[in-house]
Amino acid sequence: MKKRIASAVLASAVILSVASCGNSGTTTTASNDTTTTTAAPAAAADTTTAAADAAADTTAADAAPAATAEGGGTTFNIYAWNEEFKGFFEKYMPGYDASAQTLDGVKVNWTITPSDGGAYQDKLDQALQNNASASADDKVDMFLAEADYILKYTDSDYTMDISEIGLKQVDTEYQYTVSAASDSNGKIKGVSFQCCPAALIYRRSIAKDVLGTDDPTEVQAQLDSWDKYEEAAAKAKDKGYYIQGSYAANYRVFSNNATSAWVSGGQLTIPAVVEQWTDQVKKFYDNGYILDTLPTIWEAGNTTQMFNDGKTMCFFGPAWYYNFSMGNAQDPDKGCYGDWGICQGPAPHFWGGTWILAATGTDNGDLVAKVMQAFTENEEVLTQLVEVEGQYTNNSAINDKYADDPTYGNDFLGGQNDFAVYKELAKNIKFENNTIYDQLCNEGYQDYIKQYLNGSVDKDTALQNFYGYINEKYPAVQTP
Amino acid sequence: MSSTTQTAPVKHKSISYAGWGYFFIAPFIIVYILCALIPLLSTFYNSLFEYYMDGLKQIGPNFVGLQNFITLFTPRADGRLEIFNYTANTMIMWIMGAIPQIVFALLLAVIFTSERMKIKGQGFFKTVIYMPNLIMASAFAMLFFQIFSSVGPINQIITANGAPAFLFFDNEWSAKSIIAFINFLMWFGNTTILLMAGIMGIDQSLFEAAAIDGANSSQVFFKITIPLLMPIIIYVVITALIGGLQMFDVPQIITSGRGGPNNTTKTLVMALNAYIGTSKNYGMAGAVSFVLFVITGILSFIVFRSTEPKKEKKGGKK
Repeated sequence: MKKRIASAVLASAVILSVASCGNSGTTTTASNDTTTTTAAPAAAADTTTAAADAAADTTAADAAPAATAEGGGTTFNIYAWNEEFKGFFEKYMPGYDASAQTLDGVKVNWTITPSDGGAYQDKLDQALQNNASASADDKVDMFLAEADYILKYTDSDYTMDISEIGLKQVDTEYQYTVSAASDSNGKIKGVSFQCCPAALIYRRSIAKDVLGTDDPTEVQAQLDSWDKYEEAAAKAKDKGYYIQGSYAANYRVFSNNATSAWVSGGQLTIPAVVEQWTDQVKKFYDNGYILDTLPTIWEAGNTTQMFNDGKTMCFFGPAWYYNFSMGNAQDPDKGCYGDWGICQGPAPHFWGGTWILAATGTDNGDLVAKVMQAFTENEEVLTQLVEVEGQYTNNSAINDKYADDPTYGNDFLGGQNDFAVYKELAKNIKFENNTIYDQLCNEGYQDYIKQYLNGSVDKDTALQNFYGYINEKYPAVQTP
Repeated sequence: MSSTTQTAPVKHKSISYAGWGYFFIAPFIIVYILCALIPLLSTFYNSLFEYYMDGLKQIGPNFVGLQNFITLFTPRADGRLEIFNYTANTMIMWIMGAIPQIVFALLLAVIFTSERMKIKGQGFFKTVIYMPNLIMASAFAMLFFQIFSSVGPINQIITANGAPAFLFFDNEWSAKSIIAFINFLMWFGNTTILLMAGIMGIDQSLFEAAAIDGANSSQVFFKITIPLLMPIIIYVVITALIGGLQMFDVPQIITSGRGGPNNTTKTLVMALNAYIGTSKNYGMAGAVSFVLFVITGILSFIVFRSTEPKKEKKGGKK
C-alpha cells in the first residue's frame, strides 16, 4: 500500500513536470471557455460580413472610430513585459469587467514575459510571426513596446497603421512619443500612454546634510553638470553617503544624449557618452562613491537603499520610476515617504515609455483602438492616472493642467509639483539615434563592464566579452 | 506461403527467429531514426548554412560550407578561444560535482546495503537523499542565487561584523563551486539508488566467503564490491558525463544566462542557447551542437575503453 502511494506521488510528480514543460506559455489568466460569455454580439455574426460592414462604413471613420475598426474576436490577447499597464488597464479601462476579465464582453488574455535578456522580444517575435496562421483566439491583438526596441516593430509589417483601426494622431500627444511610434515612411503605428522625461530624484534629508539645502532649484544649481555631480559625490562620501547606489543609476542620463547610434551601417560602435559614463563610474567605484557590490538598478542592493536607513542621495528616473519601482521608499514602516525631491540633474534625459501597438491580423481592432484612445484622450482615465498613480501622461493638456496648478503637489516629493518640472524637461526630449538593437546593447554593456569596474578583468577583456555577447544575439552586427 | 504445398513438409535444419528479432527491435529503431538520427543529421546540415533572424527579418539560409565552424574556432581579438573556454568550464564544473557525487553515492550505497549495519529507517533516508532530484533545477538555482546574493543571508552573516560583502557570483571559483555543488546535491541521490541496485545484485555468498576468510571491510570493498560493481559504475559515469556535458539550467539561471564572471561559468549548451535565443542562429547553434556531439562521443569512448576489463591476449608474454 505504501509503495502504491509512493508510486502514485512519483507518477503525479512526473506528469506535473511534463505538463509544466508543455505549458510554457505564461498566460496569466486561465483559459476559460469563452463560448459561454453572452456579450460580444459581433462574435456571433460572420466575421467576413463584419469586415465588409467596416469597409462600407469608411466615410464614418472619423466620426466613430470604434465602430469602423474590424472587430468581432472573442479573445483579446495582449502581450506585455510587466504588470504595470495591466494594473492600469484593469482599474481604469472603461468597459472592463474585472470579475469576468472581459472588455466589452471579450475575454482579455495577458501574456507577460519579463524583458530581461531580450526574452520578451523573443516571445513576441515568435507570436507575431505566427499571427497570420494562428487561430482567431490565439492571435496577438495588441502588444506593448519600450523605447529601446520599438523601432523593430514599427518598421515592420507586423504592426498596423493606427489610421487602419480608425485612430488619428492627437495634438496633445508629445511629439517624441509620436516620432518613436512612426515608421520610416512616417506612418504612425501606435501610441504611448506615458511621457517619460526623467529627473534626478534626491533624498531631501541627505541633500540637506551634503549640499546644505533641499530646495529643488538650489539642489539643481549644485548638480547641473557632471563635474559638480562628482564634487557632490566626494562631499557625500565624506559625510558617509553614496551619491548614487547602483553603478548604472546614471547610465541613461549619459546614453540618452548620444550623438551616434549603437549600430550604424551594421557596425557596432560604443557611443562617446557611454565611454564617458564608463570612465565616470570607474572613478566612482575606485573612490567609494557608489555601492561596492555594484548592484544593477533593479537588484535588492540598490532598492534597499530607498529605505529610510538608506545612505544614497540620488536616483534617476521618470514619474513611473518612483511610482512603480520605488516601493521601498513608500513602505509605511521602513520607507521615507515625502523625503524626496526632483530636479533635472546634470543632463536632460528620458527613460522608457510604454507604447501600445496593434498587431497586424488582429480580430479586435476596435478594442485596440478603444484602449489607445482611452489612455491618450479619455480625460477621466488620464485624471485617475495622474491623481492616483502619479503618471505623467501622454496628454499635454491634462499634464499642464496640473503643472500650472499652484495648489497641486506630490506628497511623495514633499509636496513638490513634479509636473511643473516635467513640463520643462519634456521639451528637451528627442527620440534619435535609436536602433532595433538598443535593448541588449544597453543591457549587455552595463552587465559586462561591471567586471572592469570592480577590477576583476581589464577593460579590453570586458569589451571582448560584450562583443561576444552581441555576436551571439545579433549575428548581423559587426563588432570591432 | 508453404501451406499451399503441404504434401511434403519441408524439414528445416534450424529454425531462424531473426525475423522476430528485427520485428521486436523495430519500434526502437524507428523511434531512434525519427527522434535522434534525423535531428542529428539535420543539425549538422543546418550548421553549413548562414541562417538567422536580424530583428524580424530572416537572413538565409545561404550555404556557407564550414564557415560557421571556422568562426567558432577563430580566437577573438584578445586571443581567447571561447569554444575551448566553454568546454573547459563545462568539464571543470562537471568534475567538481561528479567526483563528490560518485564518492558520496558509493559510500551511502555501501552503508545502506551492508548486512552488518542493518540501518533502520532506510526508506526515510533514501527518500531524503533522493528528494533534491525532484525539485526543479531552476528552483534550486533561484534558491542558491538568493542565499548567496550580495544581500542574501550568507552575506548578511558576513557583513554583520562589518566585513565587506563577498560577491559569490563575481568570483570565478565561488561561482563554479556553487554550480557544482547544486549539481552534486541534485544528483547524488539518483546515483546512490543506481549503485545500491548494483551492489544488491552481487552474490551475498561472496561477501560471506570474504568474511569467513577474515577480510576486513576495506578489503571487501576494494576486492569484491568495486570490481563487481564496475559495469554499473561505468554506466553511472557515462550517464553523468553526458548529463554533465549538457549542463545548462543551473548555470543559466544562476548567472542570468550570461555565464559570468568573465564567461567562466558559461557552458557549451549555454552558448548554444545564446545562439538559438534571440537571433535564431541555426547555423552557429548547429555548429556548437555538432562540436558538443563530437566531444561527447570522444569522452564516452575514452571512459568506455579505460574501464573495460582487460582481456588476456592469447600468446602474449607472461
